[in-house]
Amino acid sequence: MFPCSMDSAETFTTVTFSNVSIYTSITAVNVISKRNFKAHWVAPTLRELKRRKVIEDDLNGGPKIFHRSTFLEWNYDAEIFAFSNRLGEKFNDLSLRAALTHKSYIERETARLSDIGVESNLQFQDNEALSQKGGELLSKFINGYLRAVFTQVPEELIRAMHDFLTSNPTLETVARHIGLGDLMLCADFPCKTETYVKSFKAIVAALAESSGEERARIFVQDLVVTQLYGQDVNELWNPVDPVGNLTAILKREGKAEPEFRLIRQAGSNSILGVYYVGLYSDKNFISEGAGESLEVAKEMAAREALKKFFRTEDSMRALPFGRQLKNIQSKIAQLENQPNIPLSEWISEKVMSAVH
Amino acid sequence: MSNSHMFLPSGFIRTPLQNGLGRYIPQLQRITLKFCKNHGGSRGVRDFIESDLMEFAKTNPGTVVYLKPRRHRSPCMVAEYLNGEREYLSCHEFSRDEVHKWLSYMCTRSGIPVMRFRKYQHTDYPTVQGVWNPFTHQAPEINIAEFPHEVLSRPLDHGPTATEQLIEIFKKTQIEDPANKPPN
Repeated sequence: MFPCSMDSAETFTTVTFSNVSIYTSITAVNVISKRNFKAHWVAPTLRELKRRKVIEDDLNGGPKIFHRSTFLEWNYDAEIFAFSNRLGEKFNDLSLRAALTHKSYIERETARLSDIGVESNLQFQDNEALSQKGGELLSKFINGYLRAVFTQVPEELIRAMHDFLTSNPTLETVARHIGLGDLMLCADFPCKTETYVKSFKAIVAALAESSGEERARIFVQDLVVTQLYGQDVNELWNPVDPVGNLTAILKREGKAEPEFRLIRQAGSNSILGVYYVGLYSDKNFISEGAGESLEVAKEMAAREALKKFFRTEDSMRALPFGRQLKNIQSKIAQLENQPNIPLSEWISEKVMSAVH
Repeated sequence: MSNSHMFLPSGFIRTPLQNGLGRYIPQLQRITLKFCKNHGGSRGVRDFIESDLMEFAKTNPGTVVYLKPRRHRSPCMVAEYLNGEREYLSCHEFSRDEVHKWLSYMCTRSGIPVMRFRKYQHTDYPTVQGVWNPFTHQAPEINIAEFPHEVLSRPLDHGPTATEQLIEIFKKTQIEDPANKPPN
């Protein structure tokens, strides 16, 4: 018989949340089905029971959800051990436990114990400091990767990608899918987005403390930066005035002013009209763009030209991950504190010299 | 024949959290084996626990294994995945090998429910050169051409007509006439 430990004797009261949690009620599971036999007279009873259950659940604002730790089969130490092994990382036990403990939990426990009358000398450490440090490390590692991979890109786009990767929805998704939901010690259930994000950042800091910054960097690259895969980076950020920006860049480079020429058109008299406008500088073709009117096509051509300069076209190289990053880890570390050129100063010569 | 009458949901192959792109994280979070210590239907599960379970736990350190001996209950295993899904499987009267087989099956799944894969590959970047549109590879001369045009109105793979070939042959014979050679 394996030992089952329960952390707190408190049972969770029914929470009236109508949004669906990932903790489904116990009866709703995916069953690898077999042929079962139930006699036909059983059906009406089951139907009635289900009807009543649905009404009850609707009255209570959703099916009852229970935290995993309220189950009899729960061993927090085993769960923590599995967590670190699942990720393939080694954590200091104290750091990891501190990273998963929230201030709200400590407050609640001390209040509960003092209510009972027990003197509370709990040795818990919360994750406020770790979360702060983890947030900084996270930003640093993400910026390093982005600047090392997107060498030609202006700093505004790097910032937009960084903001996307460190946004609450992204980090919450990552935190949920590595199993933090069951492990966090917090007063709120279902756990809020901020709680997940805080825990995740604290985990990053705990990892840096336990295994070193190098491993924490690889961890962030493997889990957070991969969320950029499948995103169109041009959707995250677009220069507001592409034509103006393009003109400024060409002027700074000493090239001729951009000249827009109509290349193709079809259906000008219909609502499905399309215009292709080509962008030329000193009679050299740079890019072309299509649109439903000449102005739109012109703007698209300017956008395509900027994409070409920044190397963020649809045909750009795939983002490197995993083993492909082995050779550029030192470059990533170097560029963590070195921002890219901003859009107002961008010229090709400057970024070409930065390419390694 | 056709898949439209199947109740099994269909979809494209996917993985939670871009698993495998950076590192591979085994998706099985915990597995609970419920069995009876006495009843014959749990014999396979009991044999598995006695012999193969430790090895399984050692090779899968990222999965927590819970054992739940319950009298007068038929054996089952419940697998919980990192994305919150649960899989229930009844192990009644399974042999030890069957339990091992199904357990390793649970290990290899992500929690995404079983579905019919429409395609066995998926990409977020289906095109590199750009999707074809009627203007791709068109000669720019069409913009200022007046149709019908001598070259552009003809089919692409037309080739020279019989008349044109004869003219070419005639021209060749003409060139070989020594009277037409320029005096050197």
